[in-house]
Amino acid sequence: MDHISARVTGKEFAFRVVLALLCVVIFLLIAYPLYFIVIASFSDSTLVSTGKVLFFPKNISFFGYQEIFKDMRIWTGYRNTVFYTLFGTLVNMLFTLPAAYVLSRREFRARRIIMFFFVVTMFFNGGLIPTYLLMKDLQLTNTIWVFILPFSVNVFYLIIARTFFETSLPKELHEAAVMDGCSHFTFFFKVALPLSKAMVSVIALYYLVGHWNDFFTALIYIRDTKLQPLQIILRDILLSNQVFANGAGTGGDAGGYAQRYADQIKYGVIIVSTLPILVIYPFMQKYFEKGVMIGSIKG
Amino acid sequence: MRKRVNVYISLFLVMAMLMAGCSGSGSGTDDSAEPPGNTSDKKVKLTAIMTKHALTKPLAEMEWLQKVEEAAGVEIEWQEITADWGQKKGTMLASGDIPDLFIGPNVITDADFAQFQGLFQDLSGMLDQAPNVQKMFNEKPDTKLIATQPDGKIYGLPKYQRFWPASASRQFINQKWLDELGLTMPTTWDELYEVLVAFKEKDANGNGDPNDEIPMDWPGGIGGYFNPAVMLGSMGITLTDGSPQGYFVEDGKVKNYLTDERYKMMVAFLHKLYRAGLINPEVFTHDYTKYQSVARGEGDTAKVGFTWGWVASDRFGQQLASQYASMPPLKATADYAGELSWSYDYYSLNYGTNHIVMSAKSKQKEAAMRFINELYAPEVGMQVLFGSIGPNIKDNGDGTYSVLPPADDKMDPGTWKWTSTMADNGAFYIPDSLELTLGTDMQEVLGQSEPLAEALEVDPEKDVFPGMFIKYSTMDNNTMSLNNTNVMNLAESSFAKWVTKGGIEAEWDAYVKESEKAGLNQNLEIMQKYYDEYMSKN
Amino acid sequence: MRSPKGIQSFKRDYQLWIMILPAILVILVFNYIPMYGIQLAFRDFDFTKGLTGGEWRGLAYFEQFIDSYLFTDLMRNTFLISLASIVLGFPAPIILALILNQIRKKRMKKLMQTTVYLPHFISVIVLVGMLNVLLSSETGVVGHFMKSIGLEHINLLASTSTFIPVYVLSDIWQHCGWNSIIYLAALSAVDPQLYDAAKMDGASRWQTIRYVDIPALVPTIIILFILSMGSILSTGFEKIFLMQNALNLPVSEVIATYVYKIGIISNQFSLASAIGLFNTLINFVFLFAMNAISKRVSNTSLF
Repeated sequence: MDHISARVTGKEFAFRVVLALLCVVIFLLIAYPLYFIVIASFSDSTLVSTGKVLFFPKNISFFGYQEIFKDMRIWTGYRNTVFYTLFGTLVNMLFTLPAAYVLSRREFRARRIIMFFFVVTMFFNGGLIPTYLLMKDLQLTNTIWVFILPFSVNVFYLIIARTFFETSLPKELHEAAVMDGCSHFTFFFKVALPLSKAMVSVIALYYLVGHWNDFFTALIYIRDTKLQPLQIILRDILLSNQVFANGAGTGGDAGGYAQRYADQIKYGVIIVSTLPILVIYPFMQKYFEKGVMIGSIKG
Repeated sequence: MRKRVNVYISLFLVMAMLMAGCSGSGSGTDDSAEPPGNTSDKKVKLTAIMTKHALTKPLAEMEWLQKVEEAAGVEIEWQEITADWGQKKGTMLASGDIPDLFIGPNVITDADFAQFQGLFQDLSGMLDQAPNVQKMFNEKPDTKLIATQPDGKIYGLPKYQRFWPASASRQFINQKWLDELGLTMPTTWDELYEVLVAFKEKDANGNGDPNDEIPMDWPGGIGGYFNPAVMLGSMGITLTDGSPQGYFVEDGKVKNYLTDERYKMMVAFLHKLYRAGLINPEVFTHDYTKYQSVARGEGDTAKVGFTWGWVASDRFGQQLASQYASMPPLKATADYAGELSWSYDYYSLNYGTNHIVMSAKSKQKEAAMRFINELYAPEVGMQVLFGSIGPNIKDNGDGTYSVLPPADDKMDPGTWKWTSTMADNGAFYIPDSLELTLGTDMQEVLGQSEPLAEALEVDPEKDVFPGMFIKYSTMDNNTMSLNNTNVMNLAESSFAKWVTKGGIEAEWDAYVKESEKAGLNQNLEIMQKYYDEYMSKN
Repeated sequence: MRSPKGIQSFKRDYQLWIMILPAILVILVFNYIPMYGIQLAFRDFDFTKGLTGGEWRGLAYFEQFIDSYLFTDLMRNTFLISLASIVLGFPAPIILALILNQIRKKRMKKLMQTTVYLPHFISVIVLVGMLNVLLSSETGVVGHFMKSIGLEHINLLASTSTFIPVYVLSDIWQHCGWNSIIYLAALSAVDPQLYDAAKMDGASRWQTIRYVDIPALVPTIIILFILSMGSILSTGFEKIFLMQNALNLPVSEVIATYVYKIGIISNQFSLASAIGLFNTLINFVFLFAMNAISKRVSNTSLF
């Protein structure tokens, strides 16, 4: 018996070494470029693009951040985006999760046809112009609703949620609940959702980030500056520092001074736009802990 | 468990409240926006889109624009666009949901006019309401030609100023390096080769590292501004606006240099340079930021020997600009006896197509026309281009004006101009009679253009493709853009391959055939047809 | 007999109908109503006659695309890029999730998870800018590294043979962590009793991964794989466009960039619709085939 357990620990040891090595490699591969973005956001752009900034910032200046925060629109942008993101995600969840639950019920006869009805929309769409005309007719253009109501069901996430409900809710659980006289409403709210916190938080995260990064909706449907989300404003700031390639020929050297800081702004924008959403992740993360849900329910 | 359900119910309630709150606050802001409009009820409200340069400050902060709106008795609600206009425009036009006015460089194209019939206002019948525009048409008849569609209608008005040079690209060589190495400015391709070899091998910048000099550089690719395509001028080809897709006119015939024997010679020469390590090895991969950064060197140490750009101070930075000299075009060989030429860009730099367009659906056409008329007044035009009298332009009191240096001394004049006003993206007319002293930046540009003057003495009638004056039909336009995409796909990749790896001799014939298959000849036929038509009319 | 049964099942399921109705309505209004626009692919776009009033052209616009000079190149490049993306990019987040799931120390795990998902937020413009700086053959970190191991003749940014690897690997770098989240969530639903049972049987950790973790992921893997086959002809646009240069053009011109270049965005609505529909049909066929195969083999399917 002894040598067996010794062999097992030997294997276990080898496993741990390999795991640790893998983790270190993955960590470095991902962390270095991220670190690079941070130091590039306050180093001299000329040095950055000629490869002189590798491990430490050089010629430190915070001009990029000054330029970004000088633009007062950024605060309206933040406010709008936070609102669209939170409110939009709420609506997304309210529409998506019950539907996913329904489609996971094998006794629901129409599930296959409805699923097909949904999947088709992942591929076929009428194009931008008919969609724009529809929004105009519904009087959604240039309002906050255009961020929230249309496309509030993402079929891809719906499918993920459905798959999760299908595989992680044991059949016996529903049978037992039905025996207790439990309706679908109560089962969904009291059993299915609490058991699926991990999936719910993932879908919520996906929707949140989708709203957070969305600039296309605003680009097409919003004209009022007061309604513009953060991403449009950051894109403006970003592009205003990338256009010198065309600027020069059109009758004036629009480069010179701002050129030197172009990269600072480019990298700074990433940090400014990403930091707030990073805060959310740790809250979600705790739901990924292994077996929390099923264990707690059964116990 | 009951608690959970309650949570969801309260979430619903919160949401309902949010909805109510939002729509409330939404209408609230609308209300607060009303009063100023009501108090000055004589003013006509208009909506407008301006595609401005990304550096440009908000239009509401431009003094001159406030005055123009006031004078015209209008109040314009501006939507300012700096990016992705192409994407926005398609949807907007196709849905017919457009503002009263559009301002911007070719903001609505001739192709759009042809496609979206009835969406835009024909101004030809309204010109009597705009004497300033009529004045422009009379004084500069070319502007009228640019504006007039084949059916005689006028949808978009051009802009005009005389100040910009005849070419966008100037040729620079590091004079300090030449002096240090005891060399003279090259006049032929062979001499250029010798000079670049010396730059490379002899530590031209004298910093002790013989390997950090980049003898020659350009932004990458073939055609367009600041591109070695200007070296085709060494064999008499006059490019038009940098000929980004290769088209040029020679003795009344539309040609494309991409399949011209002289192009073959030039590419072979570039390969000779590349093989000898004289061209930046990253020439086809660097982006514009890096291209610019490299030429700015390190402190007083320059890195680039020979290149093209708009003006030295922009290309090399203030610190290094003085090391560089502007250089006249080279001869292909010492015994070349023909004319030397360059890229002739005068029309595209000084005229602009469709800078202001009116909607046919506008309910306030007279008011919009009043605004246009004010915009085209001579003193206004100069402020559209350079900024308001006061902060940007000085009124000398004797009917002449001077452009003032930047108020922010860290800014160069070019950036200052683009920040302060609509600049070249605006709609304006500056008569030749207006006396305006330009800023130092433009004086520098004009000074550095002098070595090119002789090569640019071309006959615009015979050797320049009048791209701006020609209006294609929708079908021809689509055909040409499709063919050009195919031709350029082949040309770009072949050019890069031949310069870096060689092989043009062996592959040339197949390439020429392939280009024809990709639609080059069809395009030449179409362009020749329109060109002949244009020439016969004028 | 039938109708009472139907009524019965509706009575039984009416709550289900209520729960799914909002989703059906949203999809119906915002996705199905605009679908009349698809006919633009078969018609001329004529502004004066309304969106669908133009002359019927049948398959003319499809033919125009299929006959176009670059058609075979475009199809080949598009297929190769998305195939490489699927072959390399699909397993990556699964493997990453399995690795992350093995980390026992909580703080380590959190640090790793947070790090790997960060790159997802980098915009394409910045990502390509970074690639240019870091991979530059003259001045980049990777360039220096390649020189030091004697590979200086390879310019990663400028060669037809390195374009796809650089594109795919940078994509994996950026999105692998993000995509692994969904697998991590699936792993969190594994019944702890299974792990206990495995331990009792003396299974090594490797065996636990093999016999407990992977089977738990299979349904999600299959569904996501079917969906990824449905995007076989949809490469992104912006990243490829920004990574293009004259030297890699022979392999980097794809349908999306070509459509952009022929100026379709502003003008050729019919041709754009036709190319879009052509893409869609091929994607749909692949999805269907994959779905059918999966239904047979694993009894898991989308519909």
